[in-house]
Amino acid sequence: MSEAILDVRNITKTFAGVTALKNVDLKIDVGAIHCLVGENGSGKSTLIKIIGGVLQPDSGSVTINGVAYDSQNLRAIEAIRGGIQIIYQDLALFPNLSVVENISMNQMVEANDKLIKWKEAYEIAGQALSRIEEEIDLNEKVENLSMAKQQIVAITRALTQNARLVIMDEPTSAITREDVDHLFRVILRLKKMGIATLFVSHKLSEVFEIAEEVTVIRDGNKVGDYPAGELDNDKLTNLMTGRMIEYKPYFYQDTEPEKPNLLEVRNLQKSGQYEKISFTLRRGEILGITGLIGSGRTETALSLFGINPPDEGEIIIDGKPVVIHSTHDAIRHGIGYLPEDRLNQGLFQEHPITDNIVVTVLKRLLDKRGLINSEKRKTEGNRWIKELSIKTPSGENPANSLSGGNQQRVVLAKWLATNPKIFILDGPTIGIDIGSKSTIHDIIRRLAGEGMGIIMISDEIQEVLQNCNRVLVMYKGRLVREIPNAAEADEDDVFAAVSGTSGGV
Amino acid sequence: MLKNLFKSTESYLLIVLLAFIVVVGFINPKFFTIENLFDLLRSSSGMAILAMGFFIVLLSGGIDVSFTAIAISAQYIAVNSLIASGVDNLAVAFLIAVGVGIAAGAINAVFIGLFNVPTLITTLGTMSLFHGALLEFMGTKAVNTGGLPECFKTFGHFDILNLTRADGTEYGLSVFFLILVIVVVVTWFILKYTQIGRGVYAIGGNKEAAKRAGFNIPKIQFFIYMYVGLLAGIMGIMHVSLIRYSNPNYIVGSELGVIAAVVIGGTRITGGRGTILGTLVGVGLIVVLEKNLVLIGLSSYWHQFFIGLIIIIGVSITYLQNKIRSKKNLIFVRDT
Ligand SMILES: Nc1ncnc2c1ncn2[C@@H]1O[C@H](COP(=O)(O)OP(=O)(O)OP(=O)(O)O)[C@@H](O)[C@H]1O
Ligand SMILES: [Mg+2]
Repeated sequence: MSEAILDVRNITKTFAGVTALKNVDLKIDVGAIHCLVGENGSGKSTLIKIIGGVLQPDSGSVTINGVAYDSQNLRAIEAIRGGIQIIYQDLALFPNLSVVENISMNQMVEANDKLIKWKEAYEIAGQALSRIEEEIDLNEKVENLSMAKQQIVAITRALTQNARLVIMDEPTSAITREDVDHLFRVILRLKKMGIATLFVSHKLSEVFEIAEEVTVIRDGNKVGDYPAGELDNDKLTNLMTGRMIEYKPYFYQDTEPEKPNLLEVRNLQKSGQYEKISFTLRRGEILGITGLIGSGRTETALSLFGINPPDEGEIIIDGKPVVIHSTHDAIRHGIGYLPEDRLNQGLFQEHPITDNIVVTVLKRLLDKRGLINSEKRKTEGNRWIKELSIKTPSGENPANSLSGGNQQRVVLAKWLATNPKIFILDGPTIGIDIGSKSTIHDIIRRLAGEGMGIIMISDEIQEVLQNCNRVLVMYKGRLVREIPNAAEADEDDVFAAVSGTSGGV
Repeated sequence: MLKNLFKSTESYLLIVLLAFIVVVGFINPKFFTIENLFDLLRSSSGMAILAMGFFIVLLSGGIDVSFTAIAISAQYIAVNSLIASGVDNLAVAFLIAVGVGIAAGAINAVFIGLFNVPTLITTLGTMSLFHGALLEFMGTKAVNTGGLPECFKTFGHFDILNLTRADGTEYGLSVFFLILVIVVVVTWFILKYTQIGRGVYAIGGNKEAAKRAGFNIPKIQFFIYMYVGLLAGIMGIMHVSLIRYSNPNYIVGSELGVIAAVVIGGTRITGGRGTILGTLVGVGLIVVLEKNLVLIGLSSYWHQFFIGLIIIIGVSITYLQNKIRSKKNLIFVRDT
């Protein structure tokens, strides 16, 4: 039997009547790569916070490296001393400071030196980086680094504090596929150094790629531990959701062929970003756009939404050429946009969930005197809470009482509520669990069925193929492939186009 | 190009300052004399010291508008204590002023660090509180040159370097400049080489992360506001020594000029970013502007106008920069 770095027993935690965890156990071996999966709101982040000593459980025990703590006496500082390092989604870096300081800061604070020894700081940072075979300019400010590099900085910082177990809460939802590969190589290097990793991801393909052991929780209960090799997609989905999820392709039929295109883009061009982009969108279509980050997909979408005006080209809506120079123009022409970066798209964290949802449609909720009708507000809020199955006892609870994935749904609801003619969704299901993904996909289909034109941008090829009737592939700023019938497309073939290995059109 | 320009506010500012000086020098050739430079240094060192204090506060993501009230309180209390006790000793005056300053700073820090009251609200309150208490308990009567203890006058005239004019009379570089240099070096050292100094940057950059990294945030805030108080105390003594007159209604009201200097010096109002050099250049710009407005044909009321304009522009630039950055991140999430 191998030795455990972490042994969590019988953890129960409730928040004001909501049971987030019920008698959960978790054991992680030295140097193991362990994955924690479960639907949104199943209690993953809560469990991680308890292990880190940031939250105290109602009952249960946590044993770190052989030292046992009961439910009340594990504090964050002890978890850190025991070798537990948690990398939260916000990374907790100092954007205004250099890489060297970000890496060495915690150790220096811990050592409580009154003076800063810069030479030592450079040594600490340089060594820590080279231990995981990474190179980053030590003098660069963290705010100038990509998300992926920032993550590496956060991991490196963890190493300076003698990490034995690095815990990452959804590290892959904000970075590109290439960066995910890179991150996985880093995790493997950590393993070689005897450092275990526990990570949370909603992308099952990633789980199979890297995890050795998988722990599934559902609704605050542990379902079980499984060696990754014994699981497959369907099995794991079933364990997480308790049901089977079936994919039906989206078929589209043009019912009004005499009408002009809802949207037509002709030779749209922006230097350094994308060239000669032309495509059409009809009412009721779900058009997928896929491509790597940097392929120009998001840039193109932003141009349609007025955030990133193009240099050249035409945008035609309902047969009429339009000029879109600002988001205001875009909204006026009936275009809605769900941004990719929802983490930073600001929910009003302390405000009720309902207010966050209705903020985009306040006009519709006014009564005759121009005041907000509280009945209408509540109805609209509850409607979306129900439609997107946002997990909360009441819409009056603040947004920050929701789990990460449920917060995402609130953002989605807020944009869906505006009911646009053309809806651009950039990464609509980032951070959303597999079960709810299909709920969201169903909603998108229904909207399309009601005549909305939808553009779905995603780097998950499967997601676009399963949900769109037509798919465009972008590579290095160009449209390289149009797949007219997504349901019949070959995934490997699309993958080749996305990664630029198929020669293009 | 535009981005680069925004990036190095300092260098941009230095150019503006130099251009401005050249223009002023053109209109008034006397401006380029060493004597004038010495004069400017004597009269503006105090403001530069206040700017150092405000710079640290802004760096930590806070705002302090009470430092002028602290400076005048420290000055007026020190002057009156010396008169009342008959002690004519500069060191004692400094001790009293600095003591008052640090105590007042500690009061700010109690609200900010322990009770988590927003910094602007706290210092707006204490500004009024300190000044009101001073007028109520110490009186409103100005101390004029005749009644002022000698030590202040000697101090105000003390030069560390003397040069001779063509006509044989002397002029010199005030000791004030030396004090400013010491304050600048100490501040620089604290910010660069002490943990508490890095803590100032850390809480200005990401307070939550600073907390998680184990920084004692209230302790850092106590340091910041007490340091500001200390600098205000020093400035209070320099001020009375310079103008040889102590009026409890002076200094208060000049905080916006200091704030403008720091803001235009490139320190972001959102905290975490800024340099000492930029702050000093900012002070230089405000001082040259103030001293030469009349010269270039504008009434001195324009000074107030420009101070306001500078603050608004400085703050807008911060927002613009943020906007450019978030736009950049939204569009180019690529490796640098
Ligand atoms: N501070 C809080 N107050 C009230 N309820 C909370 C609080 N934090 C978490 N919860 C509730 O506890 C449950 C578990 O949340 P948790 O964040 O652990 O989920 P998760 O598994 O991390 O989900 P996700 O995949 O969406 O991130 C949720 O129902 C959530 O609403
Ligand atoms: Mg979570």
